[in-house]
Amino acid sequence: MLSGLGFKEVYNLKGGMMAWDGLQASGPQELNMDLVRGDESPAEMVRLSYSLENGLQRFYGNIQKRMKIEAIENLFMKLAQIEENHKKRLRDLYGTIEPSGQDLESLGSDAGEGKMEGGFNIEAFTQQNEPFLDTPHRVIDLAMMLETQALDLYLRFSQKTENKDTKAVLFKLADEEKAHLALLGDWLEKKTAA
Amino acid sequence: MIQLKRLFKPVKNMDSQEAKAFIEKHKEGTFAILDVRQPGEYEKAHIPGSKLLPLPQLRDAADELDPEHPTVVY
Repeated sequence: MLSGLGFKEVYNLKGGMMAWDGLQASGPQELNMDLVRGDESPAEMVRLSYSLENGLQRFYGNIQKRMKIEAIENLFMKLAQIEENHKKRLRDLYGTIEPSGQDLESLGSDAGEGKMEGGFNIEAFTQQNEPFLDTPHRVIDLAMMLETQALDLYLRFSQKTENKDTKAVLFKLADEEKAHLALLGDWLEKKTAA
Repeated sequence: MIQLKRLFKPVKNMDSQEAKAFIEKHKEGTFAILDVRQPGEYEKAHIPGSKLLPLPQLRDAADELDPEHPTVVY
């Protein structure tokens, strides 16, 4: 039908979702969409993203402190470090958007308060998931799930936003999440092979 | 009659591996993934970043997509 409507390049995924063996997100299309209005500026969007990255780093840090198994504790430390690297890239990006702006760390975002990547509430998510984080494999699985939901959320934000420059920021954030997922996929493969 | 023929023009197939390679190769914002199933199916599992446009609404809502962008449909 799309070809008939003027779409130049259309591909049908053979076997549909049943045959898809790549990353999967879940939840309704509206999930956590209340975090954005749709008219955010690029700077506002980076601030929100920074706040969500901060939240995830806090989540990893909090659990790491309570972990009694060294291998898992180290894994959480590495995951928190990745978020720190991600935050640095956001600070650099913010500097290009708002060259004379305030430090991103001190600005925060009201919408992202108490939330982490994927738009989840940090406290509720910790309560629901911490009891299951007892093997490195499960920890990486959880991290991949969170990054996949974050990727999906940024791309759903991009569908809601009208501002071309904000869309470009969201696509950049989504590409970052994809790179992060590729790294976690490598870790998981190594753990599975070990 | 010509319109009807155009509507059912055959499209290329991609298997899961090819679709993953396609998504990996392309930068976000340069292509679209379109989910034409029902909202309940989307909710259970979908490819991250998919645009949900159930088949019955597709014709009326297709202008939400860019016809210039390569589009993977499932």
